[in-house]
Amino acid sequence: MERAGEIVITTGGPRGARRGARKWGEIVPKGVVTSVALSGIWLMAFIIFFLIKEGAPILKETSLTEIALGQLWYPVSNPPSYGMLPLIAGSAAVTLLSSIMAIPFGVVLALFISDVCPERAREFCKVSLEILGFLPSVVLGFIGMAVIAPHMQMKLELLSGLNMLNASFLLGILILPTIATLSEDSLYAVPQAMRDASYALGGTRCETMFKVVLKCASRGIAQAAILGVMRSVGETMVVLMAAGGAAIIPLAMSDPVRPLTSTIAAEMGETPVGSPHYHALFFMGCLLLFITIALNILVLRIESGGGEK
Amino acid sequence: MEEAKMVTKSLFMSYSRNAPPALKDVTMDIRANSVTAFIGPSGCGKSTFLRCLNRMNDFVRDARITGRVLLDGMDIYSPEVDVTNLRRRVGMVFQRPNPFPFSIRENVAYGPKLLGARDESVIDEIVENSLRSAGLWEEARDRLNDMATSLSGGQQQRLCIARAIAVEPEVLLMDEPTSALDPIATARVEELVRELKRDYTVAIVTHNMQQAARVSDTTAFFLMGELVEYGPTDVIFTTPTDQRTEDYITGRFG
Repeated sequence: MERAGEIVITTGGPRGARRGARKWGEIVPKGVVTSVALSGIWLMAFIIFFLIKEGAPILKETSLTEIALGQLWYPVSNPPSYGMLPLIAGSAAVTLLSSIMAIPFGVVLALFISDVCPERAREFCKVSLEILGFLPSVVLGFIGMAVIAPHMQMKLELLSGLNMLNASFLLGILILPTIATLSEDSLYAVPQAMRDASYALGGTRCETMFKVVLKCASRGIAQAAILGVMRSVGETMVVLMAAGGAAIIPLAMSDPVRPLTSTIAAEMGETPVGSPHYHALFFMGCLLLFITIALNILVLRIESGGGEK
Repeated sequence: MEEAKMVTKSLFMSYSRNAPPALKDVTMDIRANSVTAFIGPSGCGKSTFLRCLNRMNDFVRDARITGRVLLDGMDIYSPEVDVTNLRRRVGMVFQRPNPFPFSIRENVAYGPKLLGARDESVIDEIVENSLRSAGLWEEARDRLNDMATSLSGGQQQRLCIARAIAVEPEVLLMDEPTSALDPIATARVEELVRELKRDYTVAIVTHNMQQAARVSDTTAFFLMGELVEYGPTDVIFTTPTDQRTEDYITGRFG
């Protein structure tokens, strides 16, 4: 269709009715496709604009340093205090702890699926992992509240089983399928020739897996890990249900925490539109958005070879 | 004439229980410090035979091998043989250059490090000697930390040869090492093969009969899994005894 149009233009006939019809026949579909394609970008731009517009006014109430370093989150007290450090620390703590649990486990699991287990078991393992990935986070949160928390409370003699460890554990389970399946894809894509080269040099299976295959797939694994972290940062339901919800800076794994996401989810419904509290919550949304955008850019940089020395 | 480095005795090999044998009753010697070429049409079993010599066929599930393969008189298929040690003694260069996506230095150092080399100066020395032997030192000396994949195809293949000889093997198996290279790179690798036989026993699979004639001392002609004829290269190429060998080298088929 495009080619037909080109011919008309290059031969340059008189402006007849037929040519006009062809032109419209081209412009209309092209316009529709372009506008549909751009709608995603427009939406994204609109969301960012809206978040900033609603989040920025909090800076009129209090200073950026007070938000970033203040340790008291009392948005409805009089006078209110908007220190977000405990919430940021809570987010960072559960993300870090869940990553520490899920990334090594996920990578080793991926290595097992790609290089150790037989071909038939591989399909089964991948499907089971995907099913684990479909698990709604609210179900996981429920398990955390109803099963893990009481046990943890009794066995470890804690004040509450709803704490950072519980939430991180659940988050780890949640991001494990992402990390493991994406890592497995890149491990499986390492050419057999790389493994052969290692074996031919007298490498054992273990040496081949850890010193060659893992290294060959390191970029894909790094991307998988970052995508897992990204999911962990943004996950709301699990932390809302199982993290305990106390806005304190956690000092131990048994401390309850209140990450940014669960704060927004818990408080947004109860705050008057346009109030400083409302703007503060939107400011947190901006923070989360920028963190995920930054992680996304990191993934893209790894893809384009930015990580290579 | 040098003595036999490797000997196979009535070697049969099939890729699965019901498949026809890929190798039928192959008995031959590979003499030390010489180049032995395996020629024959595609699918004749020459690569399969080569991969039996360092047990790379172990990874083929359901593969069946009977007969004996001796390295200095030791049966490499006997249960007490350490396969990794065998593969260190019998190195291999593959059809397509397959450097690891590491630096040039790390590629060559991989084998020695597996063997426990830790001292950086020792490793540097091994890297230099191996690259020199593979004729790549002059081109690579200033870029040892560059990625191996930044080298040209011919350089990559010479790097793979350097990587193979870095563990000081006794036998070097080459599976069509020049089939992915251009004529100039091919000539360099062939020259290298002729030099390598001073220190190593070389067995090379090739599609290219001229190459076999140029580089080898002994030639073995395979057809449908059988070793048809085997003897000094000049004899095979001038006065073969088997009609099939003559037909093949004169280009009547294959």
